[in-house]
Amino acid sequence: MAYAYLFKYIIIGDTGVGKSCLLLQFTDKRFQPVHDLTIGVEFGARMITIDGKQIKLQIWDTAGQESFRSITRSYYRGAAGALLVYDITRRDTFNHLTTWLEDARQHSNSNMVIMLIGNKSDLESRREVKKEEGEAFAREHGLIFMETSAKTASNVEEAFINTAKEIYEKIQEGVFDINNEANGIKIGPQHAATNATHAGNQGGQQAGGRLLLSPFLAASCPVEHALCPPPSSFVLS
Amino acid sequence: MSKIRGLPPAVRDPGPGVELGVEDGLLCQLIHSPEFNLFSDSVVFESTFIQVTKQGNWMDAYERSATMIVGVTSSVPSLPLPNVLLMANVTWPHGPFSTCSTPGAPVITLSRILPLKYVELQIYDRAQRILRVRTVTEKIYYLRLHEKHPQAVFQFWIRLVKILQKGLSITTKDPRIQFTHCLVPKIPNSSTETTPESSLPSSSQASETIMLLAAERTSSSLLGLSKRHQLTGDGHTDITPETDNSNTCKTPPLVASSVNMPMRATLTHSLWEQEDPNENFLQVPVASSLGENFLGP
Repeated sequence: MAYAYLFKYIIIGDTGVGKSCLLLQFTDKRFQPVHDLTIGVEFGARMITIDGKQIKLQIWDTAGQESFRSITRSYYRGAAGALLVYDITRRDTFNHLTTWLEDARQHSNSNMVIMLIGNKSDLESRREVKKEEGEAFAREHGLIFMETSAKTASNVEEAFINTAKEIYEKIQEGVFDINNEANGIKIGPQHAATNATHAGNQGGQQAGGRLLLSPFLAASCPVEHALCPPPSSFVLS
Repeated sequence: MSKIRGLPPAVRDPGPGVELGVEDGLLCQLIHSPEFNLFSDSVVFESTFIQVTKQGNWMDAYERSATMIVGVTSSVPSLPLPNVLLMANVTWPHGPFSTCSTPGAPVITLSRILPLKYVELQIYDRAQRILRVRTVTEKIYYLRLHEKHPQAVFQFWIRLVKILQKGLSITTKDPRIQFTHCLVPKIPNSSTETTPESSLPSSSQASETIMLLAAERTSSSLLGLSKRHQLTGDGHTDITPETDNSNTCKTPPLVASSVNMPMRATLTHSLWEQEDPNENFLQVPVASSLGENFLGP
């Protein structure tokens, strides 16, 4: 699907704060209470619309565990937005925000928009971090702030979309140089391909924001259909 | 006139790896595309798999939900071993069966990037061509090589698994090799960068190394993840090592082949500069995902 811009996001924060759950809620609109520990990066993507423009969010969900920390640092490069997540029921995850923020500031571009997220707002009875504390931290460090619940989906859309709005405003203000890929913003194809699946498929061709490729898998249809031709191309998204 | 400016454009013959569908494939094109622009100087070795159960059955009645492309690449092209595992899902948004007259185009979606040091690859079932991928978090995938791949492709995976477990002969994982020389001078100079052959070991060590390299030549070729190297398989059979010393002599620069790499990165990632092999364990940067692969578990 065609898009005007692609924004790279990175989700960071301590292990178990709900980073992967936030991503799953945003991309798939579902909640999975038990999730494998993330190692490396897991990817998600979703199209949103801001100011009438289609924007693709490419979201990098990273490992929060301390032992993977050095690797996580290498993923900051080229991120336009970061969701810095803590768990409102675990004071230690809030206390570690400074370290995460230092990492983010050090390894990303200076214009990266950072959204501070206090997750698990549905667990009010177990709250250890007041909302005001989150707000104060965000104010002190120039971050946007929201409390969310990946479980109930409360504010999840808003957290991702408000971050994108902030990035978009920076583009409009000329703060972001959109021609510099290090800013984590890519300009999408200006025109959607009207005949994407009929485009030439040799060697890859950009069309409508998707990459059409010669099909190694073209005959991978598990059922042999005598009258069913293989797909004419593959689409990378 | 413009033709004589700068270097001529690189001409890359579509090697056997491309013909076999394991190089320059869909996953490679995806991560090298402007959307990701990842590991752009590194070759990706990739294949298509069907995720199956431990018993080898399909995970899903519909293959579409269980088709994956799995590949390995190197975060730095000069590394002798791959250090990154890539996983992508293949889906058919409109279903492969829904409308036979206009079947939907499959969508390739990058799902995970894993440092290989957190992954264990095993050959689970040779007959069924099933690969077992276990992450450090005990997530286990059983992946059956797609039937469209020729047997030679699974042989490459077998070789890759072996190399990742035991290391290349040219790495310090091989206990038979005692490093007593600096293969990369500690003081960088232009000749080292432009003529990597100058960093070859002395003759006695070289002869031993060459013998080992000859035995592992195909492995080296497979894992020469710089784009300047191509797979050397013939596409039909397993590869027999060549004994041509001129070829094998060129293999060591796999390590020092980062002509276009910043020297800092080259030195940071090269173990060859260490005179005392024991120092390796102390001086390999923890952040380098090369570390555990290189030194073994």
